[in-house]
Amino acid sequence: MSYNKPIPTPSPLTQPFYDGAKEGKLLLPRCQDCNRVHWYPRHICPFCHSVNIDWIEGSGEGRVHTFAVQHRAFGGWAEEVPFVTAYIDLNEGDRMVTVLRGVDANDPASIRIGAKVKVEFDQASEDIHIPFWRVVEE
Amino acid sequence: MGLSKAAAIVGAAESNEIGYPEVPKTSLDLHIEAIKNVSNQTGIPISAIEGIFSAGQSSEIAEHLGLHPKYIDTTSVGGCSFEIHVHHALLAIYAGVIDVALVTHGENGWSRRRIGAGGGGHYAGGGAGSPGTEMTMSYGFSGAPSNYSHAMVRHNHLYGTTPEDFAHVPVVTRDWATLNPRAVMSSKETHEFGGPITIDDVQNARMISWPLTMLHCCLVTDHGGAVLIAKPEIARSLKTNPVWIAGAGENMSHSNMLEMGDFTATSAFASSHTAYEMAGLGPEDMELALLYDSFSITPALTAEMVGLAPRGKGHLLWKEGHAAPGGRLPMNTNGGGLSFNHSGMYGMQLLVEAYRQLSGTAEDGLNGIKGKQTNARTCIVNGTGGSLSTTGTLVLVADD
Repeated sequence: MSYNKPIPTPSPLTQPFYDGAKEGKLLLPRCQDCNRVHWYPRHICPFCHSVNIDWIEGSGEGRVHTFAVQHRAFGGWAEEVPFVTAYIDLNEGDRMVTVLRGVDANDPASIRIGAKVKVEFDQASEDIHIPFWRVVEE
Repeated sequence: MGLSKAAAIVGAAESNEIGYPEVPKTSLDLHIEAIKNVSNQTGIPISAIEGIFSAGQSSEIAEHLGLHPKYIDTTSVGGCSFEIHVHHALLAIYAGVIDVALVTHGENGWSRRRIGAGGGGHYAGGGAGSPGTEMTMSYGFSGAPSNYSHAMVRHNHLYGTTPEDFAHVPVVTRDWATLNPRAVMSSKETHEFGGPITIDDVQNARMISWPLTMLHCCLVTDHGGAVLIAKPEIARSLKTNPVWIAGAGENMSHSNMLEMGDFTATSAFASSHTAYEMAGLGPEDMELALLYDSFSITPALTAEMVGLAPRGKGHLLWKEGHAAPGGRLPMNTNGGGLSFNHSGMYGMQLLVEAYRQLSGTAEDGLNGIKGKQTNARTCIVNGTGGSLSTTGTLVLVADD
């Protein structure tokens, strides 16, 4: 079945991320001058304003920062409700957003802030692989 | 010193590659290159920029730079916008609000033919080139409620609050709406589901984005409003009473919620600080509070930020009845975005209500409603925009 949810279109800035995702790697932008990782990708480091930014391979691990359960959605996501969305604190610093896997959307009390998560990728089209995060054992 | 020569243009630079770039450029890329270059040229670090002026993209640019500007202007009125930005920057610097203003332009008039106006895509909004949007669009979010719910869950986690605690906000706000005949939810006559509601009503309403039920969320209605502001000589000569702008402040912490460092803190902390300082007043002096209530979490968080309640305890203003009719600090006396009216951008409704409560002469206007509910002489108004992103605070004072 073809992927029926929104698929991002890379810009020159973000293309390396998708090249990595295609190989199952979570690439993250890191400033060569202050060493900090930021997310989302920038033309300039938001911490020290250096433009010397390269990509590093992240651990693909993090923790749930906060979450919610979506009971209303549009397009392809409408078929999935209820589903859990979450913000993920990356081990490398800064934060990503995801639809959270490995949790029960009908029992939000069972979902834990701080839970350990790992990244996985869905193939959305020939060249675009989208990261999703799954709660895993400690 | 007069307004003339109150400020100077101290540097001007362009993006590295302009014209017909080999590799297509996004608008954001063009902005950032020019900003970096003018910073290098002048020696003024980007971190010293206090005001951002662009034709419509100021919040995204500020976020991309990691800045929290205290003056944000997105005037977009065509090709002359940038000369108008210089005028506005002159006024802001003359007034002492900011010392350094950035006027910035990035427009990929040619590259957009290859990669789209936003930069590169076919999805809503015109494409890539907004990396924040690109990295959040795949995950089923459906507008404001789907994001604000994450803030409430974080608040619950940090402070031991519950969704029921926040349900007191819509219940009390509905009580105010019952006193306002123009409120959509004033009574069973104004709306099938109008009139007073209970905590159970709120908690048992249809779930939108857990833990936010429909009654934790604002209305979607039509609204029009306008405000006139004039110099004191004119203000004192009219048949209406003036309401004085004693203090004003603005700030932003992010554009995309992905960049919200602390989900239980907004830039209303900074914008209210500026407004109080200008007014020479503090939160303890406020007799009325009109705090944008897009969702139950919004005014409760804002109350914490503007100093009306300690961190983690904003909801108690409603739960303990202080914000209710007859309480010590009336709040959202029109019935709020939750029960009066919310058209998408509710800030004007706040201004109309502030004038109504403080002037005593709003009855003369079409929007005027007889029977102002408070005798407040001071009022804090706080608008919140985006995903708890941007804030504007006013401290308003009734005429002597």
